[in-house]
Amino acid sequence: MSRKSREGKRRRQARSGQQPPTVRVSSEYRRNIRQADDILSKEGIEIQPDNWQQLALDWFAPQEPERSELARYIADHAHRLGIPWARELLRLEVFFQGEDYEQIIAHHERAFSRYPCCALVEMWVADQVFRHAGDFWRARQMYRYAADHLPGHAKPYYELGFMSYLLGDFVGALGRFHQAAERVAPDDLEMAARILYNRGIMRYMVEGDKKAAIADVEEALRRKPDYPQAKEALRGLRGKMRWVPW
Amino acid sequence: MVDSRPTRTTKSYWIPTEAAGERVFWMSLEFSLNRPLKKGQPSIAEMALSSGSADEALLGLPPVVPPKIRKEAQRLLRPWPDSRYTGAYGRSGGILNVFTPQWGEPQDEVWAEKVAGRESKVFPDDQTRQEALRALENRWNTTPHPFFAGLTPAQVMVGGGPQEAELADEFLGQLTRLYDGRPFDSVGQALVKTLTLLRSWQSQRRKDGRMVLEIIVAERNELLARRARVLSRLTDSC
Repeated sequence: MSRKSREGKRRRQARSGQQPPTVRVSSEYRRNIRQADDILSKEGIEIQPDNWQQLALDWFAPQEPERSELARYIADHAHRLGIPWARELLRLEVFFQGEDYEQIIAHHERAFSRYPCCALVEMWVADQVFRHAGDFWRARQMYRYAADHLPGHAKPYYELGFMSYLLGDFVGALGRFHQAAERVAPDDLEMAARILYNRGIMRYMVEGDKKAAIADVEEALRRKPDYPQAKEALRGLRGKMRWVPW
Repeated sequence: MVDSRPTRTTKSYWIPTEAAGERVFWMSLEFSLNRPLKKGQPSIAEMALSSGSADEALLGLPPVVPPKIRKEAQRLLRPWPDSRYTGAYGRSGGILNVFTPQWGEPQDEVWAEKVAGRESKVFPDDQTRQEALRALENRWNTTPHPFFAGLTPAQVMVGGGPQEAELADEFLGQLTRLYDGRPFDSVGQALVKTLTLLRSWQSQRRKDGRMVLEIIVAERNELLARRARVLSRLTDSC
């Protein structure tokens, strides 16, 4: 399953005005762990001394460049990892596929603190901490760790940029979007479109540079033609009226 | 005949998180302390500053104000330190910051960077070291902070005034009309939607051509200037 597809909306019962619990009772956590183990067992997964590395790679990071990053992490810390770690990683993957953000966060807290920090895990769990739990500061720390340890990846920079924008730091956001644009893989069209669109908006807001903003948004639409926000932004930027993004 | 008109109108807003709800409440208190009780008279904050006594200034509050709020008002009216305004971490930061999840020194990357820069320097003596620290703290106090939505810690400390109170009311009303009763998958989603709306709203220009952000900053600067004038009068009279 592509990591990008995990960013889709959770299909869970909508709760109007209700705040979801942030702390899950441990019996529920354990029940979910058992369910994850059942799923892995039904998939015929048997974690053995000779296949734990392969399973971790195939399940958690099937695509490049993440696969190489995870392989590097495993190679660096193999003596401290092993079967128990692979089992925790596969369980985490099951929770990702189930889009169960509370369980993802709870499992990350409980199971991974005893292992060396993995930038890839931090990067993906940070999304849940940021966009679902709303714990900006913890997520920020995780993205910063990911940015430091995965310097070639655009995603942590993009997320830090988006967070800066939410905090009202438009200058900081623009800087992060520049960094993300320098790193985004040419074939990652979705990420590139988002980075370019957001950078364009920030260029307009911070620098008042309409020309550069239009160029970025046009480029975003070339990468992702079906991008309603970018289309609307382009109309606004080309129009004569004073326009406020978003 | 009984007068059935309401004696007080209360408003209720949709707020994305409980923590933000609490901060909205404290934001209103900050606004109240900067609002003159009568036109042309000083505000409670200015009275506290000139008399040197928060208790005396708070006598102006109606008796129905509960002790918990009086206590909080006393905290807000405490004299500012000569050093770093760490109290800014505990203020609401006004409408631009009220939804930002709580943060403090452990999260303050700006201060951490300044401290790291200082620690890497060698000072000839302790006095020079102390002077450098004071200069650093002053710079922090008066430099726009990225985590305060571009306000300086001094602008956060002083609180918002009547114009910001009106603007906050407008935004909270807009937020409530848009999101009250709408389902959200999570707290984070509600928070992100709220902040996205806020950042758009603060960038809108008003009839006078100024952005909301600029109006808020200008008013807070005016409050700081008034505060400086009160302090200067106090110094002159000594």
